[in-house]
Amino acid sequence: MRHTWRWVGAGIVLVIVGGVAYTVATAPYLHWDVVWQFLFNQLVLQGVVLTLELTVVAMVIGIVLGVILAVMRLSPNPVMSSLSWVYIWFFRGTPLLVQIFFWFNIAIVLPYVGIPGIPHWSISTNILIPAVVAAILGLGLNEAAYMAEIVRAGIISIEHGQTEAAQALGMTRLQVMQRIILPQAMRVIIPPTGNETISMLKTTSLAFVASVEELFTRAHEIASSNFRVVELLFVASIWYLCMTSILTIGQYYLERYFARGAARELPATPWQRFRRLLFTYRLAPP
Amino acid sequence: MVKAEAVHKSFGRLEVLRGIDLEVKPKEVMCIIGPSGSGKSTFLRCINHLEKIDAGRLWVDGELVGYRQRGDRLYELPDREVCRKRSEIGMVFQRFNLFPHMTALENVIEAPLHVKRESRASVDALARKLLERVGLADKIDAYPNQLSGGQQQRVAIARALAMQPKLMLFDEPTSALDPELVGEVLDVMRGLAEDGMTMIVVTHEMGFAREVGDSLVFMDGGVIVESGKPRDMLAGPQHERTRLFLSKVL
Repeated sequence: MRHTWRWVGAGIVLVIVGGVAYTVATAPYLHWDVVWQFLFNQLVLQGVVLTLELTVVAMVIGIVLGVILAVMRLSPNPVMSSLSWVYIWFFRGTPLLVQIFFWFNIAIVLPYVGIPGIPHWSISTNILIPAVVAAILGLGLNEAAYMAEIVRAGIISIEHGQTEAAQALGMTRLQVMQRIILPQAMRVIIPPTGNETISMLKTTSLAFVASVEELFTRAHEIASSNFRVVELLFVASIWYLCMTSILTIGQYYLERYFARGAARELPATPWQRFRRLLFTYRLAPP
Repeated sequence: MVKAEAVHKSFGRLEVLRGIDLEVKPKEVMCIIGPSGSGKSTFLRCINHLEKIDAGRLWVDGELVGYRQRGDRLYELPDREVCRKRSEIGMVFQRFNLFPHMTALENVIEAPLHVKRESRASVDALARKLLERVGLADKIDAYPNQLSGGQQQRVAIARALAMQPKLMLFDEPTSALDPELVGEVLDVMRGLAEDGMTMIVVTHEMGFAREVGDSLVFMDGGVIVESGKPRDMLAGPQHERTRLFLSKVL
């Protein structure tokens, strides 16, 4: 048999995985019926939706602001680049938990927002920034600092000749960035951004400290009323895993799209390979 | 078309150009030769302001490059103006620098579409005509990495021509090519010269300089050592330094 040790290795792994799965599935004090009961619970599903919303909005803020910060960081203007440097230094240098907490309690620092001198034109920050907004600000602004470095890495990975060729054609700095550099930098930017998105999905659970009712908070609330803590953490984890899987597939196709021009021929997708496998087996003589 | 007066350029302490004076007339093909590090590429890049000059004056088509003169003071042009002037000068690079994420056609239409903001239909027709002219009508939808070096350089020439420039700069356009691919690129350039394009060509191809060039400039150490008619200069160089250089490359 070819690849004998490969089969042996696969066998050993299978036995271990099976053992772990069996142990968890038959754990005497773990109530799987509770897990199934709450998996599609109305409150849990609402939490799933809010988690997704938080992830999307925070990532959009992070990516947009991150691109701006990265371009500023690389700007020849020293004011721009130091501003960006300080932002990144500050938001990467303080705990995210503290940042969310800060936005949640912003009223301590800034009770009202308004235009000085004009009466009745001010609004309480507690109304302006409810808990969900505080969470989004905390997550998004922090993410921007990390995305800025990812985008910057992508930009500096493109050789300088590309900028020169584009400039020689008469393109402005903005056009060069938008039309030539960023589309190419995407190949470098997307894998770590996928990483960030998946990480963000679970980091949204920190919104817990602002009592935002996302998936983790909901699971925790239910658990504190029925004392099935582990079961409800299982429920939350199953949902986090599902969402991560979907994002992983999305990332794969996004990467393929931006690889055009980089590889002479794109590799087949798993689905294409699967179909090809079936097709060749059918063609094989009996 | 191009006039230079005492052009100086330094990179830090290194003085790359130490006073360049020359003039290129409309429809003239000027070839610049010289050892590497002699400043010939740097001078070419000064002409479209990819490098800023430190002293001297440089005009393209009667306008100062990168600056505006008011009284006897020079003011740096805003970014937008520099871009507009660059768009009137075509440049071809040693390493092609095609945009790898775009097909040949997309490479050619990019600048007319987004810099000149011409209509898609007219740009498309022009681009197809230009790609046909450089002999690549069948490679319109190919990405740069699916093309040979010679084909890539011909797309790069078509890309520069698509902006309908009044001046073309070539920075060692055949130096990165396999020897057997050099001819196809030189043929395209010869055709351009015959059509009356004003060209400045930094090159090591002495045959091209002799047959196509109207004038020849030999640079060394940041200055012009000798210039004249290509045939005369290549046959009987006046300066010892030119003679030494030519004896090694011819």
